[in-house]
Amino acid sequence: MVRDLFMFAGFNESSQIVWFKIIYSKEPGSLSSIIDFLEKENAFVMFGHLDNITQNATGEYSVFTELDKDVNPEIFAQKIKELEVVSEVEYGISKYGMVYSMDFPINVIGVRGVAARALTIVDIIKTFNQNAPHAEGLLTISGLKGGIHAAKYFKSILNLNDSNFADVLAELYRGVGWGILEIECDPKTYEGKIIVKDSFIADTYGGSDQPVCAFMSGYFAGYLTEYFGKNISVREVSCKATGKEVCEHIISPAPSGGTGLEHQLRGEIR
Amino acid sequence: MIKQPNVILGNDELLVTMGRKGDILGFFYPRRDHAQHVEESVACIHTGEKLLWTNDNDWHCIQNYIEDTNIVSTKLYHDSGIRISILDLVHPDVPVLIRRFKIQSQKKISGKFFYYSNFNVGETTKKNSGFCDTDTHLLVQYWQNYHIGIYSLPEFTEWQIGKAMDTIWWTNSKFDMEDGKLQGNKEDIGNINNAAGWDLELEADGANEFVIFIGAASSRRLLYKRIQELSKLPLEYIFEKTREHWVMLLSRKQVLKMPGLEGYDNLRQELFSAYNRALLMLYLLNDRKYGSFVAAPEFDSNFEKCGGYGFCWNRDAAEIVLALKHSGYPEYCDTFFKWCIQTQLSDGSWFQRYWLNGDIAPSWGNFDYSTQIDETGSTLYAMDVYYRVLEGLKKAEFLEEVWVSILRAAEYLMKRTKSGLHERCMDLWETFYGIFTYTNASIYAGLMGASHLAEENGEAGMAKRWKKRAEFVKQATIDRFWLQEGYFAKGVINEKLDKTVDASILGAYVPFGMLSPKDPLEKDMIQFMIGNIQKKLSVPFNLNYGIRRYENDSYINGNPWVVTTLWLSEAMFTLSLELSSEKSTSVVTSGSVVTNGASSGNGEISDDTVKKLTLEGVKCLKWALAGATSTGLLPEQVEQSTGKPAWAIPLGWSGSLMLDNILLLDKICRRRAGNQEES
Repeated sequence: MVRDLFMFAGFNESSQIVWFKIIYSKEPGSLSSIIDFLEKENAFVMFGHLDNITQNATGEYSVFTELDKDVNPEIFAQKIKELEVVSEVEYGISKYGMVYSMDFPINVIGVRGVAARALTIVDIIKTFNQNAPHAEGLLTISGLKGGIHAAKYFKSILNLNDSNFADVLAELYRGVGWGILEIECDPKTYEGKIIVKDSFIADTYGGSDQPVCAFMSGYFAGYLTEYFGKNISVREVSCKATGKEVCEHIISPAPSGGTGLEHQLRGEIR
Repeated sequence: MIKQPNVILGNDELLVTMGRKGDILGFFYPRRDHAQHVEESVACIHTGEKLLWTNDNDWHCIQNYIEDTNIVSTKLYHDSGIRISILDLVHPDVPVLIRRFKIQSQKKISGKFFYYSNFNVGETTKKNSGFCDTDTHLLVQYWQNYHIGIYSLPEFTEWQIGKAMDTIWWTNSKFDMEDGKLQGNKEDIGNINNAAGWDLELEADGANEFVIFIGAASSRRLLYKRIQELSKLPLEYIFEKTREHWVMLLSRKQVLKMPGLEGYDNLRQELFSAYNRALLMLYLLNDRKYGSFVAAPEFDSNFEKCGGYGFCWNRDAAEIVLALKHSGYPEYCDTFFKWCIQTQLSDGSWFQRYWLNGDIAPSWGNFDYSTQIDETGSTLYAMDVYYRVLEGLKKAEFLEEVWVSILRAAEYLMKRTKSGLHERCMDLWETFYGIFTYTNASIYAGLMGASHLAEENGEAGMAKRWKKRAEFVKQATIDRFWLQEGYFAKGVINEKLDKTVDASILGAYVPFGMLSPKDPLEKDMIQFMIGNIQKKLSVPFNLNYGIRRYENDSYINGNPWVVTTLWLSEAMFTLSLELSSEKSTSVVTSGSVVTNGASSGNGEISDDTVKKLTLEGVKCLKWALAGATSTGLLPEQVEQSTGKPAWAIPLGWSGSLMLDNILLLDKICRRRAGNQEES
C-alpha cells in the first residue's frame, strides 16, 4: 500500500539518499549477498523491505541507503547489477531528503493514491465548510464514493464477510493514517456504531461547535452500503473537534420510501 | 463550474444551451439572461448492470442543426453497441423543450431509461420545492413564480424527488438510479433533484422511443395547461410547425448570390450556411420584448474566470442590430434603440452593461474613469446609420423619438473631450484605463452622427458645434497616436504612450470611418494599419490565420479572436470595395486605369491591391468558419493549441461580423460579376 514510502526527518549535506529497487533470483543466500555487498561498499541501509510474493521466480528488495556524496549512484547501481543473483536494478535520488517513493505512482487499494499532510485535506474540508452551501452533504457524498470503492475492491480480492468486514475497514484506516477504528455493527439489523480515535480530520481541524467528520461518515456509509447491498445511514453524533474524547458515528439502515423518518432522526420539525 | 455549450435553441421566452452530447447546460426562462433554472439535465441508461450516463466520455457523438432551423440532432454511439438519436426542439409559441430519444442496441438489453435533472429553479438551490404528480405523470419543481415541469410519452413509470446535496444521501435521485430502480418519493423541499424512469426492453437491433417535454411557466396551472395541450399534438406536427417557423424567419433575409465563388471548393455553400446560422443564432440572443441582446448565453455565472457574458453591452448590440438591418431585419434596430432611450443614464452616457430588462448589470465600470465612453459613441453612431437608411415618415418619426437622447449623449461626449482626446476611461476590452484610439474613433463617429441628425432636425448650431468637436477629436487622435511605423498606438496608459499593436485601432476605419480612403493620405494609413495588424497579430493554424486582440494578450491563453479576425477581413473587404468604386469613378472620369502595382499614395489604385485585399479577407473568413462548433456556432475565440472553438459560445458580436463580412463579399462578387458581364 504505502510500503515504498519513506520519510526522512533531516538531511545531511555530506551524504546523499539513494534508493535502489533490486530484482534478484529467489535462491537461498542470494539476498545475503546483496546485503553483504552494500555493507562492504559503505552504503548505510536506512530502510528497506522485501517482496517475495508478487513474482514467482524473483524477489524485489527495495532499499533506501545513505551514500557518501561523492559516490556516483549510476555506477553504484551498475555494480549491484553485476552481482550474479541480480537481474534488474532501478535507482533514484532523494534530492531534498523529505519524502520519496520508489514506486510511482503510489498504489492504494488498487488505484493510484497520493500522500498528503492531514492539514492539506482538512484545509479543503474547512474551505467547503466555510464557503459552500450544503457543505456537510457535499462532504458526505464525497466520502460515500470512496467508501463504495473500498468495499468493491475488497470484495474483489478477498472473501469479505460478516466476520471480517469491520476488521478490514479498521485495517485500512490504520494503514492510511486516517484513524483507529472500533467498529460494532450487527449485520442482521445494520445497526451499530464506529468509534474513531485520532481521526485525522478532528485532530487537525481545531475547535468546532459542530462535528466535522462528515467526510468519514460518508465513507463509512459508502463502505457499509456496498458491503450490505442496502442503503446505510451513518451520522457523526460526537466529534473530537467539539471537545469529546473520540469521534462516534452511529450506523442505522437508511429509511426507505421517503425522507420522513430521517427528518425525525435529525430532529427537524416539518 | 464552467461548461461551454456546443449548440443553442429556443423561442421568444426560452433559451436552452446544450453540450455536444445533448446534456442541458442552461435553461433560461423567461429572459435570455435570467433565470437559469438548470444545473444538470441529462439522460442515462441502466443496462441491468450499470448506469451509462449519456454525457460520459464513453460515447462518441455527432451533433448538428437540422438545416436552416434551430432544431438540433444529436447522435450518440457507445462502444457496447448502444446508439441514441436525440432530436431537440423548442415549440415556437410556448416555452417547452421537446426531446425525442430513440434508443437502439446491437445486443439485447433489459434495463431502464432514466432522465435525471438537477434544477435550480429561480437560479437558486435554496427554497426550491418539487413534487411528482402521479395522476398526471408530471414532475414539477418551483420557486416563487417559476415552475419547471417534466412530462413524457410514454408516461414514466418510476420517479424520485430527492435531496441533491445532503447527508441523507440515499434520497439523492442521482444515487437512487445506481441500483436500476427509483424509490418513488413524491415530494421534497430545499436543494433537490429528480429522476424519471422507464423500462427499457430492447431485443438485439431493436429500438425504443421516449419523448420528454420540459416546460416552463409562471404558474402551476399554466404549466399543466401548456404541457397537457402540447402533449396532445403529434410530434411530427410540432416538428413541422417549428421547422416552418425558422424557415419563414430566414425567408425575409437579404438574398445572397455570391457569383463567381462556385469554383472555390465549398466556400459559397459554407458562407450561405454561416449567414443563415448567424441570423438564427442572433434571434436566440435577442430579447424580443426589450430589444436587447445577451453578448453570449451565460456560462460563467459565478464569474470564476471572467466577468460573465449574459448581459447586454451597447457596443456589441449596436453592431448586431446594424448587421441585422443590413441583412433584412430592421425590427431589431427599432426595439433596440427604444431600449437605449430607456437605459440612458442621467449624464447622457450608457453604462458598461445591462440586464436585458434595462437594469444596470454587475459592473467594474461605475466611475467616470472606469466607464467605457465608446459605448456612448457606438450607440450614437448606430442611431445615425439607421436613420440614414430609413425612408419617408419612418425617418421623421425615428428622429423625433431619439432626438432628446441624441442631444444628451452628444453633450456627454462634448463634456468628456474638451481637450480633443477623451478623458481617462476604460478600453473596449475592459482591461485598461487610459485614452484609446478606438474610443476616440467611436466618439468621432458618434459626434459626426449626432451632427448629421441635428442638421436633419433643423439644429444647425448644434450640428456645427458637434462636427467641429468630432474633427478636433480626429485630428488630436492622428497627431498624438499615429506612429511612423504605420499604425495607431493603442493609446495612453499610465500617462505613457502605449505602442502595442491592438486590432481595435481598425475602428478608426471600420466601423467608425474616422479615416477615409477617399483621402490619399488616409488611404495609405488604412493600408499600413491593415498590414501591421496582419504582421503583428496573426496566429497561423486551421490552414489560415486568426488575429489576436493585441500583442501579449493573456486573457484565456491569448487566443486569436473571431471578432478581431472578422474585423480585419471586414476592413479588407470594405477597402477593396471602396478602392474598386474609386477605380470605377476614375474610369469614368479619366478614361484610364492605373494597373501597375500597389497604391502609391497619390490616389493610384491597383487591381492587385483590390484583389489581394479580397483574397486575404477570404482567408480570415475561412479561418473563422473553421473555428466554429460542429453546429456552426461562432465562438469568441479559437483555441490555438487545438484549433477548436473557445470561451464564449456563441458570441453575438462574432455572428454580426460574419453577417457584415458575407454581405460585403457578396457585394464584391456581384460587382465583379457585373463588371465581367459589362466587359
